[in-house]
Order: sequence, then C-alpha cells, then structure tokens
Amino acid sequence: MKFMKAIYLCLFVSCMLLVSGISAQDFKLPAYQQFTLKNGLKVFLVEQHEVPTISVSVIMPAGAIYDGEKAGLASLTATALKHGTKNFPKALLDEELDFIGASVNTYASKESAGLSATFAAKDRNKVLNIIQELLTAPVFDTAEFSKEKSRTLVQLEQAKESPRAVIGSYFDKFLYGDHVYGNIISGTVNTVSGLSTKDLQNFYAINYIPNGSAIAIAGDFNSKEMKDAVTKLFSGWKKGNQSGTDMAKQTISKPVNNRVLLINKDDAKETTFYIGAPGISRNNPDYVSVEVINTLFGGRFTSMLNDELRVNTGLTYGARSGFSPLKNGGSFSISTFTAKETTEQAIDKALEVLQALHQKGVDETSLTSAKNYVKGQFPPRYETSSQLASLMTQMFWYNFDESFINNFQKNVDGLTVTKAKEIIATYFPKDKLQFVMVGRSADIKKLVEKYGPVTEVEITGEPKKAF
Amino acid sequence: MLLASLTHAQIKADDVQSFTLGNGMKFLVVEDFSIPNANMYLFYRVGSRNEYQGITGLSHFFEHMMFNGAKKYGPKEFDRTMEFNGGANNAYTREDITVYTNWFPASVADIMFDLEADRISSLSIDSAMVESERGVVISERSTSLENSPWALLTQSVQAQAFQEHPYHWPVIGYLDDMKNWKQADLERYFKTYYAPNNSIVVVSGAMKTAEVKRLAEKYFASIPEQPSPPAVNIVEPPQTGERRILLEKEVNTPYLNIAYRVPEANHPDYYALVLLSEILSSGNSSRLYAELVDEKQLATAVFTSYQESFDPTLFNFYAVTNKGINETALENAVYAIIEKIKSEGITEKELQKVKNQKLVDFYRQVETINGKSNNIGTYEVFFGDYRKMFEAPEMFNKVTAEDIQRVANTYLHVKNRTVGILKSDTSK
Repeated sequence: MKFMKAIYLCLFVSCMLLVSGISAQDFKLPAYQQFTLKNGLKVFLVEQHEVPTISVSVIMPAGAIYDGEKAGLASLTATALKHGTKNFPKALLDEELDFIGASVNTYASKESAGLSATFAAKDRNKVLNIIQELLTAPVFDTAEFSKEKSRTLVQLEQAKESPRAVIGSYFDKFLYGDHVYGNIISGTVNTVSGLSTKDLQNFYAINYIPNGSAIAIAGDFNSKEMKDAVTKLFSGWKKGNQSGTDMAKQTISKPVNNRVLLINKDDAKETTFYIGAPGISRNNPDYVSVEVINTLFGGRFTSMLNDELRVNTGLTYGARSGFSPLKNGGSFSISTFTAKETTEQAIDKALEVLQALHQKGVDETSLTSAKNYVKGQFPPRYETSSQLASLMTQMFWYNFDESFINNFQKNVDGLTVTKAKEIIATYFPKDKLQFVMVGRSADIKKLVEKYGPVTEVEITGEPKKAF
Repeated sequence: MLLASLTHAQIKADDVQSFTLGNGMKFLVVEDFSIPNANMYLFYRVGSRNEYQGITGLSHFFEHMMFNGAKKYGPKEFDRTMEFNGGANNAYTREDITVYTNWFPASVADIMFDLEADRISSLSIDSAMVESERGVVISERSTSLENSPWALLTQSVQAQAFQEHPYHWPVIGYLDDMKNWKQADLERYFKTYYAPNNSIVVVSGAMKTAEVKRLAEKYFASIPEQPSPPAVNIVEPPQTGERRILLEKEVNTPYLNIAYRVPEANHPDYYALVLLSEILSSGNSSRLYAELVDEKQLATAVFTSYQESFDPTLFNFYAVTNKGINETALENAVYAIIEKIKSEGITEKELQKVKNQKLVDFYRQVETINGKSNNIGTYEVFFGDYRKMFEAPEMFNKVTAEDIQRVANTYLHVKNRTVGILKSDTSK
C-alpha cells in the first residue's frame, strides 16, 4: 500500500465526524428528526433510501472513565450485553442475528459506551426488538462471562506482541497520570482477572440509563412509523441516576518538563514512538482551526511530518499527528516508527518539524491547500446510513447542532495566516513533551536519555496505575 | 441525498455506463449525485504474480514510485496538486493487480484526470526518489512483521503451498531484492505493464458519463497502446502430500495457518467455496467460532479467507491457540469440523443464513461511491465482466447444500493442504 492510513484513521475520522458540517458546494446533510422520550432518551431519525438497510447508533454514559479501580469494567460490561437476555440466550441471539446478516456490536470507549448495528430494512422489527432487550434487560450470564474473561486475558497478553496495539494506552496513562482519561479501556491482566458478573451488573445498573443517552437510526424507513416504533420500544427503559462526582471534570495536571517512557520489548527491531502533550477539549471554539492546522502539520500525506520523515528521508512508512479531544480535555500526539538503528534520527527529525511549525508557521498557499483538503474530503464522511447515525450520536454527546454544522465551511474559510499563527502558538506544544517509545531498551536507552528523564518498563509487565 | 425518493435508488447493472478508448483503455462509469464528490479507481493487471526472483516486490515498489514524479508534475507534485485541490489518494498491490484510488470533489475532476494521464504517459523515475522510497517500503515490510505474527506465518505457508508459481513470494518482496531493485527494472516495468490497454478505469460519483468521456478522450486517448504483457506460464504442479512448516517467534500461544489449494475466481466452484468459507467462520454462530472459540475454548480467534485471483489460490484457515491448549488439539479440532461437513453436509438453514449475509454485504458494498468503484472494477478484472457483480447475489442463491459438501470433499483434504505453526519454541 502507498500509505497506511489505518494508524491514525480512527483518530482523524472521529475528529472529522465531530467537526461535521457542510463542505463542498452544494453538500447538505439530509433532513433529520429529533425528539426526547419521557425517560430522557434522545432519539434521532434520518431517512436514507439508497439501499434497503438500516443503521443504528446508540451512545450511553458508560465509558472507561467510570471504571474506578476496575480497569476494563466498562469494556467488558458493553461486550457482555451480547451474552444474552432472558428471551435471547447467547446462542439464540447469535443465531438469530447471523441468520439475517445483521451486525450488532457493543463496545466502550473512554467516555461512553455504544452500540452500532446494520441490518436489512425488512428485518427492522426483529433487530430493534433485540437491541431494546440488549440495552434494557441483559442477564450477564456467569458461564458466558467466564469464557469471555479468560479469552480477554489471553488477548491482553497477545496484544503485547504488537507495539502498535499497546502504545496508545501507555501514552494516555503517561500523559493523563491519575486522571480518569488515563484509564485503559481494555483493562489489564490484573484488573480483568478480578472482575465478576456482579461487577458488571452493578456497573450496568448505574450507567446504562436512558437519561444521558441517545439513539440514532438512519436508513430505509418511514420516520413516522419509526417514531412510533422507537417510542413504544424504549419508553419502558427506566430512568436512572448516575450519582457521585464526575471524575472526568477533575483537573488534568499538565506536564512540567520533558519526560520519556521507554517500554522495553526485547525482540523489537523497530522503535515505535509517540511524542505528545495536552490537547484540546471537543468544545474548544478553535476546534476546526486546530484540525486544519493539524492537517497541514501531520494529518495527510503531504503533511510536514510525513514529507520529512517519509518522503525526504525514507526513515519510516508513515508519520502523523492528531488531536484526540474529549469533553473535558484531550491529547495531541505525533506518532511514527522507524528501524531501531534510526531511532535518534527519526525523533530528532520529528522535533525539528515541530520546531519549524513554530518558527516558520504556515504560508497562504499551504493554508489554502489544507483548507481545500479538509473541505473536499468532508462529504464522503457522511455518505452512509451508519456514518449519519454515528454523527447524530456524536452531536448529542458533544452538544453541537446545526448552527455549528452550518458554520463549518465558514470556520474553515475564515482561518487566516495571522490566526493560524495564533493557533500554532496556543495549541501546538513547544516544550514539556511526553515521549513514549516501544523498542529494544538495550539498544536505545542511552540515546533517548537526551530527551528527558527516562522511566523504563517491560512490555510484558502490568501497566502501572500512573507514571 | 436530497434527491432520495421513497423508492429504492439501488444500483443496477444497467446503471453502469461503459466505453473504451481507441488505445484499449476501458472506462466504467456510475453516475451518483448523492454527495458532490467522485472517485477514480485505476486497475492495472500487474502484481507480484508478474515478478521473478531478483525483482520480487517490484510491483508494489512501482506502486510507490507512481507518486514520485512525471513529466508535467515532478517529484512531490502529484500529491501536492491533488491535496491542494481537495483530493486524496491511496493505492494497493496484490498478487494479481495494482490499484490506484483517487477521491475528490467532482468540481476538480479535470485536474485529477490530468494528474493520472501525466504519470501513465510519462512517468519520470528520479534516482534520488528511488533511494528514499526504498527506505519507505523496507519500513513498510518491517512494521508489518513487527506488529503481527501473521505476516511471517502466512508468507511462509504461501511459500510452501506454491513452490513454482509466483504466488510463492510475498507481495512486499524479499528484503535482499528490495535492496537491489535497479532503475532499469522500474523503467521496463512501466513500459510493459502500465499501458492503457492493460488497465480498467472506474469513475463513480457526481459526474455525468458524457463529462467522464470528454475528460478521458482529452487526457488519455493519446497515450499509445502497448503490446500485451508476457503471459505468466507457470502452473503450480498438483500437490501430492501434506506440507508442514514450523516457525519460531516470541508469542504467548501458538498461531496456526492451514491452507488448501483451491481454484481461481473464474472457476465454477468459486461461489460454493465463498459460501463454505462463510459457513465456517462468519459470525458467532459459524461452525468454527461456535465450536472452537465459544464451546470448547481451544482458540481465542479463528477465521477463514478465500479471495478472488487469476490463478489457483489458497483457502486459508487461521487460528490462535488458547492458553494451556496444545496447538495439535486445535489443529485436529479444525479437521474434525471440516470432516463433519464432508461426511454430513450442512443444513438448509445454514445455507440460507450465508445467502442472507451475502445479500446484506452486497448492499453495504454499493452504499458508497468508493464501494461501487472498487467492486465494479474488481469484478471486471477478475471475472471479466462487471455485470457479474450484479449477478453475484443470484449466483450465491443457486448454490445448494450438496455443492458445499462437494467442494469441501474436493478441496479440503489432507494431501492438498499446507500447515504452518508459529510458536515460541518449536522444539517443544
């Protein structure tokens, strides 16, 4: 492949999803309906008739930030929704969904839990009914959970075979410290070992509540009929009360100096690294401008980072940067990998490029290019029913609406070279950088000491609570 | 989307327009104004199948060099011009084909055609770019091996299963060949394979066919036709016994790849084999997942694959052993599942299930302009006619339970398989 977009694709796409809005010429989001059930569940409906399928996206305040000491709890609770309900024990559930080619996935992210589904329009009653049961009446079967848990434990060990699979979690821990945004979504071997279905039941009872949640349905249906169906299905979901302090709102302590976290992997032939710093929260008014500048710096093929680390020097297959915004804060990171022999050269280059961004800034031509790119690549992000459903739940979660969407192009276009300079100075780090590397310590430890004090851990070990 | 009506606007074979330029370059067009964007997918009939030892990996490297400068748009200018105009691109190389993909606002289609025509007609291979790009693909190879044991295992199994045919080596190439490709190899490759008559172009999106035709004539018509590339004559001899390979790499539990030799896409058994693969591993209720991962907990993951190809290829089983389980037990359990299908067949319900899944998959594929272009092009190249894509749901419907049992018996037998096991210590 020419370019491995996958590394950052998720990050970038999700960012773009959040940006949303209107881009090229006549592109408009299709009309949608929204209403709220008496229990507080927000509902979005978008008709799309190109293919006879329907997509569903549900978002609930049940992410890893609520894990407490039990890392992995949110993730396994979400997974265990599919262990069955009273009417649909797991085997029957799997069989029913597979038989009609329906996909229903449940998962947890840092802040929220979610369900996404796609199925043939003709099967809508059956699948919506199943979704309703999964969300409101899961049984958390002990035998099923025991299998899931042992499989998860092996998979957590297997993930340590791949630097790319684990480096993101280490980076979040290193950057956020003991703030809940540092919580490891998948959990760790030690924490997952301690989980039981009782933990899941408790977590479910507190966090899977209609108030604070949203469901979006997009696809081939009649909105009036769908409104009736959804109202009937979900009105009985009991309102809850997510008590306790909102841990995510606690202050995120900022790094005070450069630091290095070196994760030793004895058989590594490459060094995989992130260089990062605090980023922005999703509601930052400069969000769109920051994304445009990041596009230019590390968000596309001709970006400054990829141009220098890949095209000019051949040090890596790909180098990128991205912001990962959450409700109350976020992170920024540069990410790439290189042969262990060129570790120092690649890190130095990445730092040079960051310095060049600050010193040289951007010119009119490069800024125009980034703006055109962001606008031009925008419409395909809202092409499918599943993309639209997911956009609606993101709008709900991050509390933005059409006014924000309709101003997207204006915001992109309104970014001047002068404003771009301010954006760079304000949001792109200059110092107090956080370096996280997975590599062979014996070969690289000495040389990475020049970037800051080094904390060394073993990839095979248990990630610490905070670094 | 604004134009969406209450009736299904679902694409039909007749919605694909087609024309061929005088130089043999064939275009397929799907008009779709649901978003103001369009794409252009260029399929070239060249891949690692056209290589030989000494130039392994060259097709993929060439794919990279296609972005590194031509007559009008010099080094870096292809990507810079495209991105400046709001377009993005990528490309991929397989054993049989190399595909270039451009995604752009329809309003700048003219520039996209100009960029593509420039590099197809007059690529200029810059020696400095060859050297830096060599580092890039070596890094691409290395990072794939670094991040997953599958790359090493599947490459090794493929090399055992094909001893003479060019599917023997990996698409990425051998490291020593990667270090030694010469500029002359690239130039010859360009002349031989990057001819208008060796490609298929698919354009989907907010463009009228007449406009696509006008741009195609304007930019591509003058590029000269080339003699047909040399045929790949090697036919892999029949396999006469099971082949086994062991690999050592630091992993928690053993990884397993079992590969059976099966026919190419144009073979009548293609559809039955695709459905057999789905019955085995698609979804939690599939035979392999339900029994090996869920019920017996011998594996933490299991999947199968069977992809379209020009020449006979592999039907692959992949599994990761659960902790505390001997990989031989897992391997034997896979065989037991296969044998059960061979002796008892499958149920009508299972068959209906995978047919239903195939139909929903089809809808997903044609929901986006990119899915349309990629699938239409793939069917045109591998099956000789894009219309086969629209016939696929019907072809799958025709497959019977007996067909599934028959292809399992024909191909999934011991003498026809290659088994690869990757684990930390192969002496145990």
